[in-house]
Amino acid sequence: MMGADDPNDTTVKEPDNAQAAAAGASDEERRATDRRGDDRAADVVHPERVRAAIRKEITADRDADDDPRNTDAQPVIELRDVSLAFDRPILTGVSFEVYPGETVAIVGESGTGKSTIVKLILRLLVADSGEVRVLGNDIEKLTYEQALEIRQHMGMVFQGSALFDSLTVFENIAYPLREHTKLDEDAIEERVREKLRIVDLDPDQVMELAPSELSGGMQKRVGVARGLAANPKIMLYDEPTSGLDPLTTGTITNLILKLQRDLNVTSVVVTHDIRSAFRMATRIALLHDQRIVFFGSPEDMTASDDPYIQTFLGGY
Amino acid sequence: MALLQRINAAARDKVFSLQEAFVLAWNAFRFIFARPFYGQDVIQQMDAIGVQSLGIVVLTGFFTGMVLALQSAVQMQRFGATAYVGSLVTASMIRELGPVLAGLMVAGRVGSGIAAQIGSMRVTEQIDALNVMGTDPIKKLVTPRLIAALLMLPALTVINDVAGIFGGNVIAKYYLQLPTSLYWATVWDQISTGGFVLHFIPNDFVHGLVKPFVFGGIISLTACHFGLRTTGGTEGVGVATTRTVVTASILILVTDYFITQALLALLPA
Ligand SMILES: Nc1ncnc2c1ncn2[C@@H]1O[C@H](COP(=O)(O)OP(=O)(O)OP(=O)(O)O)[C@@H](O)[C@H]1O
Ligand SMILES: [Mg+2]
Repeated sequence: MMGADDPNDTTVKEPDNAQAAAAGASDEERRATDRRGDDRAADVVHPERVRAAIRKEITADRDADDDPRNTDAQPVIELRDVSLAFDRPILTGVSFEVYPGETVAIVGESGTGKSTIVKLILRLLVADSGEVRVLGNDIEKLTYEQALEIRQHMGMVFQGSALFDSLTVFENIAYPLREHTKLDEDAIEERVREKLRIVDLDPDQVMELAPSELSGGMQKRVGVARGLAANPKIMLYDEPTSGLDPLTTGTITNLILKLQRDLNVTSVVVTHDIRSAFRMATRIALLHDQRIVFFGSPEDMTASDDPYIQTFLGGY
Repeated sequence: MALLQRINAAARDKVFSLQEAFVLAWNAFRFIFARPFYGQDVIQQMDAIGVQSLGIVVLTGFFTGMVLALQSAVQMQRFGATAYVGSLVTASMIRELGPVLAGLMVAGRVGSGIAAQIGSMRVTEQIDALNVMGTDPIKKLVTPRLIAALLMLPALTVINDVAGIFGGNVIAKYYLQLPTSLYWATVWDQISTGGFVLHFIPNDFVHGLVKPFVFGGIISLTACHFGLRTTGGTEGVGVATTRTVVTASILILVTDYFITQALLALLPA
């Protein structure tokens, strides 16, 4: 019944300065890497060296044969031939699947529809054609109540944090716990503190503040903490590290890796930060011109000869 | 051709919007009896809609009563009927001006506030966040505002009426030198000659309380509707608030006419 409302749910185009901030962050990071003292000339982008660096990045974090994916199982998230248009076509025939325990990174230029894909998975948007399946359900066929139910298994980190500005930081993080669990007040507080600590925030300092009293980067981290609060088995991150300093970016990247390894959480991460994408993703989807032009492992991506992929990676 | 297409698109948009508004209204009412019930939010909204509107409602009521008394005094002096000024103020305030003025003031003050708040929640993805965390935004945001407005508007209207009648009293006493006791006698006289429902509820009160109840629904639902439909960033929030105030005010004045006609037919004096 309420499903009729859903297609009208609108996504608001992110302000461009979010992009600027994201670019700024990865710049920062690149400089930080350069400062680490290898002999790369900072201002010459040499494809071979970039690839080598990326390869080093990948192997630093995992062995090639240590694949956390469980490809025998049914995919947790599956898009089949999904198309969507607003005033112009945004996605055309997009298909990919995410297996249990896998981390898929979605990368692509700004405005190509990455956030739109995440919203499709959550049924905040409905596709014009094609099928979106989550945990084996064709989510378009679910009633509004069933969709709310499915979403309880998912945690979402919004591009713009989307913290409730009428609630304190504590109440924001406690919100999913109060809605879906029967935890008592002490347990909720314990959980909120734990989640704040893993995103590098001091609980005693920020818990009672309003979101508007936090810096942009702190809001982002509170957003991550809120997404994680109910310990969901599926996490969706829309640019979790844009606008963060290199240290915090590292923390969040490590956090996503750790969740995947220790708790077998399935994640979809939209990111502009190709370095952290290479570090944490089992597979990378590159979105370009309404389509997924590459979907595969980071190793395959660096090895690809496709000119667009080359320029895309070269740009970083 | 292009013009026809544009008109066609605009008309379709209007129809969709109207349909959406009715679906929203239906759900908002339905969820009054559904779980989970966000009682805390209802209390908070009653404070925001009711308690915080007290000031402007008392002020507008008082001055409207005064101006009513003043205008009618000038006219009535010609017929030597100034003794009935209390009766006239009461009739106008309770039946018409009280509900309509309170409605318009609340539409301006509260309607715009609700639209702005929900609109900015929409554009900053907080509505999406509610959905994602398994909360129905209509249950959480719309129904509490609806309940609060349905309860608080009649209360505000009564206060508005009383302030107006007191305002009339001031003019009667200091401008017309009418004794206060006579003023209040004509007030009661007016109420009791308007007829009664079930022998003891004055018809005036029925008029005076049915209207604000309906207006409360109109204001809260219009504001939530435009707030939830907001698109286009902060500029869109401005558009939503303006639309809310204009639409709610027009709807209040139009429905006021029809309610009056229906009640006059149903409850003859
Ligand atoms: N509600 C909407 N109405 C109209 N167009 C929209 C809407 N939401 C998104 N779009 C358009 O869809 C395209 C994709 O938007 P989306 O937010 O998915 O991009 P993105 O890949 O996440 O970009 P970024 O990296 O900048 O966040 C954009 O060109 C945008 O203009
Ligand atoms: Mg985006």
